[in-house]
Amino acid sequence: MIRIAAVSHYLHALQDGETLPSLDEALQPLCREHFRRVDRFIQLALLGTGRCVAGKTLASDCGLYLGSCFGPMSNNIATQEQLVRDRLTPKPFNFINTLGNSAGYYVAKNLGLRGQNLFISRQGASFQAVLAAAVTDLEAGVLSEALVGVVEEVTLPVTAYRRRQGLAADAPVAEGSHWLLLQSSADAGMRLERQGVKSLNNAAAGLLPETSGPSHDSVAGADITARLMVGKECVLADGDADRGWELFHFRP
Amino acid sequence: MRPVGIRGVGLQCALGADAETCVSSLLTGGKPAIQVTLEDLTEPATLTYRRIEDGAVLFDPQRFERLLPEVVRAALAEAGLTATECRDLPVFLGSSCFSIALSEAGYAMALAQDPAAAISMPSAGYGYLADLVRSAAGSEAASFTYNTACTASANALLGAVRAMHIGRYRHALVVGAELANRTTMSGFSGLQLLADRVRPFDAARSGIVLGEGISAVLLSAEPREGELLLRGGASNCDTFSVTTANPDGASVAAALRQALAVAGIEAKDVCGIRAHGTATPSGDTAEALGLRRVFDAVPALSVLKPYLGHTLGACGVNELVLYAGALRRGVLPAAVEPFTPDPELGVGPLARTATAPAGHYLLNHFGFGGNNTVLILERP
Repeated sequence: MIRIAAVSHYLHALQDGETLPSLDEALQPLCREHFRRVDRFIQLALLGTGRCVAGKTLASDCGLYLGSCFGPMSNNIATQEQLVRDRLTPKPFNFINTLGNSAGYYVAKNLGLRGQNLFISRQGASFQAVLAAAVTDLEAGVLSEALVGVVEEVTLPVTAYRRRQGLAADAPVAEGSHWLLLQSSADAGMRLERQGVKSLNNAAAGLLPETSGPSHDSVAGADITARLMVGKECVLADGDADRGWELFHFRP
Repeated sequence: MRPVGIRGVGLQCALGADAETCVSSLLTGGKPAIQVTLEDLTEPATLTYRRIEDGAVLFDPQRFERLLPEVVRAALAEAGLTATECRDLPVFLGSSCFSIALSEAGYAMALAQDPAAAISMPSAGYGYLADLVRSAAGSEAASFTYNTACTASANALLGAVRAMHIGRYRHALVVGAELANRTTMSGFSGLQLLADRVRPFDAARSGIVLGEGISAVLLSAEPREGELLLRGGASNCDTFSVTTANPDGASVAAALRQALAVAGIEAKDVCGIRAHGTATPSGDTAEALGLRRVFDAVPALSVLKPYLGHTLGACGVNELVLYAGALRRGVLPAAVEPFTPDPELGVGPLARTATAPAGHYLLNHFGFGGNNTVLILERP
């Protein structure tokens, strides 16, 4: 049995012309120290995980499973503009932060994690991918607790953000950081089950999150975590469960 | 936990265009490196590099589309999977570069045509390589793309093996993929981590030589007699520094001990180790002191980066294919460079090839972001 011990949910929709809100104030009570040289993607990861874990003592083997479709885009954009447009060697911390798991490193440092620390993507289904990886490790007994979530950041200007992702000129955009704390446990409570049968896919169709658009992992994460916070049952599916795809059932 | 067999492999790297050629080259001294100059930079940088000799322009952004399917098909051909088995084949992939070369080329072209309209990172996201692999394999199953710097494909292997241990899949395809790009080369140049020669654990070690390589392994949850077995492993996180594990070796030792426990073996059961051996001063210190915390006498060390360069996120699968190929021939690879011991480290690579007995072998991987990953291979 896998128990959902905690949930956090951050989703901010951006309007055209709006600037990104500062996260500094929200992060202050959640961070052990003031981290320098962190980009917005790392800030979003610190915010979501900090809120999910708030006040809890994590198991010593707690693993971190961070998913994202696009990763640290503002940092990657800055790095590529230094290199290609400005013809300069990328700044060291910009380059290091292109390597994906910098966010996992800062989350681990903030929460005192020493267990497995992974960044996994499956494009628009990255939330499903990190859930599958974490549940596998919990079922295999290699860890007893897992912090699982997705982070997507919006970069400015929003017009360029939409072009990069192939979105319509008026498509709504949002940044998000959505997290679950999963535990191997026989205790009652909110729980997560892996369903390996195709029939449930159809039966539960009404419960599936609206997951259209290239950032749909963030939307799926928002949908699932928001439902769980109010104790509603939901299902997360991606593809055909008979062929190794994942189908998860969350029950209050 | 059920063992997982290595049924098929594919590899292209600086040592050759197929796995057997690469292993033969590894065991006969390898090939010379090349020099690459990043002429587009305001202050051009020149670095030593180990490339795949495919006849293409080094920074050609289409190279993955030619080379990745070749490697995948080589692994599948050796494994002899049916079309139905390929359709249901999950893909686990690790890389550090993904589609960055495509983005670099696309952005440069857009800037040349209309600077005001050009946007950077036109090929964003991490799905490009997994899509190529799934297409080449005929897979309609799920994919997992790992992005954990130099441990990425090792973590992909670990993820696949664990899923197979609990009966999730009969087969899995695990891929490591790294090709030349300007971001990686200039980024490591800026970090001042590059050297002209790779001398792991040597007193004069001074840094890494980058390289490229693409590899694939087809894993089976129903191993056949004689197949090399993956017994799992362990991965942990060290928050000492974003770029290196604690040089005291404590977190490395923790990962080693956990991996041994997962495989149900003791340190004395280990016959050999494929060291990560990047030849950076701090990285090799952490690995050497970690090994000495676990082993009273450190088993035979093989270092492969002097032969194919550091292939970053792909090194886990690339070097597994090389090491496993050598084990299949009953040989432990030796160092290519003369070796001067570092008394602080107290370990060094094999000076001459040695016989590889039946037993267990470790493969170490460490990466930016604090990742330490250790895999265990068994030669029956």
